[in-house]
Amino acid sequence: MKCYVCAQQGKTTEAAGICIVCGMGLCTDHMVRSDVDLWEGGYPFPAQKMKKALPRILCPECHAALKE
Amino acid sequence: MASLMKRSVAELIGTFILVFFGAGAAAVTLMIAHGSETPNPFNVGIGALGGLGDWLAIGLAFGIAIAAVIYALGRVSGAHINPAVTIALWAAGMFPAREVVPYIVAQLVGAALASFSFAACAGMDAVTIGGLGATTPFPGITFSQAVLVEAIGTFLLMLAIMGVAVDKRAPPGFAGLVIGLTVAGVITTTGNIAGSSLNPARTFGPYLGDMVLGGTNLWGFFPIYVIGPIVGAVVAALLYRWVTAD
Repeated sequence: MKCYVCAQQGKTTEAAGICIVCGMGLCTDHMVRSDVDLWEGGYPFPAQKMKKALPRILCPECHAALKE
Repeated sequence: MASLMKRSVAELIGTFILVFFGAGAAAVTLMIAHGSETPNPFNVGIGALGGLGDWLAIGLAFGIAIAAVIYALGRVSGAHINPAVTIALWAAGMFPAREVVPYIVAQLVGAALASFSFAACAGMDAVTIGGLGATTPFPGITFSQAVLVEAIGTFLLMLAIMGVAVDKRAPPGFAGLVIGLTVAGVITTTGNIAGSSLNPARTFGPYLGDMVLGGTNLWGFFPIYVIGPIVGAVVAALLYRWVTAD
């Protein structure tokens, strides 16, 4: 699989991963690693943020949408 | 996790909502039915408008308030809004001992504020006629019968909490709906036996309001609504853990 962002720029680069949200193939230059906080608990216990966040690989577009 | 202070405030608000809307519904039912002929001594006014329909309406008022509180504040404090639930979770080793007293104090304060607020909104008839929705055993019901029915009702409530919310295998998102409807069902069936409090705080608020505002002093009945719910909830929590243990 090729990097979709590179292909749009007329380059051919092997993809090293895919965006977890849209499935776009991404090279290492275009993939964004984002840590998503996880919460444990809820009724009848107070929810608490877990010590470790969940690492996600995102494309630049989905990363920008997530940060909005 | 929110601080203990914030969680206590959430418990206070949650119990306020429960007592204002739930016990308030019982008070309003008595006020609406005031003066109508009751068909038998077991009917003190609730039921005069439509038999068990009155109890279903009161139960749904409680159930909907409970569901709203669980969905709104469940993530903040756990939305116990009931000392019996807090004590049962502690007894089952799932709630820290040092937080039991602050939670219960917040629940009692919230319940008391709700009863005074309801009297302020509805007027003194809510105290003298509606009794602020206080629970008492109905005519012919003994102390031990009242304790037993409160224990059985709270047993079902706590069993539902354990199965629908505490158990990690439960499908997410249904807790508020199921627990609210469980309370509504229990109140419909057992309301006309001992009031179906299922919650020491829910009875504490109206009792305090009635006493301070010149209504009937009902504190002699209060042990029923402490012993019954706590015993029922603790037995349910421990039994659920035992039957589901591998």
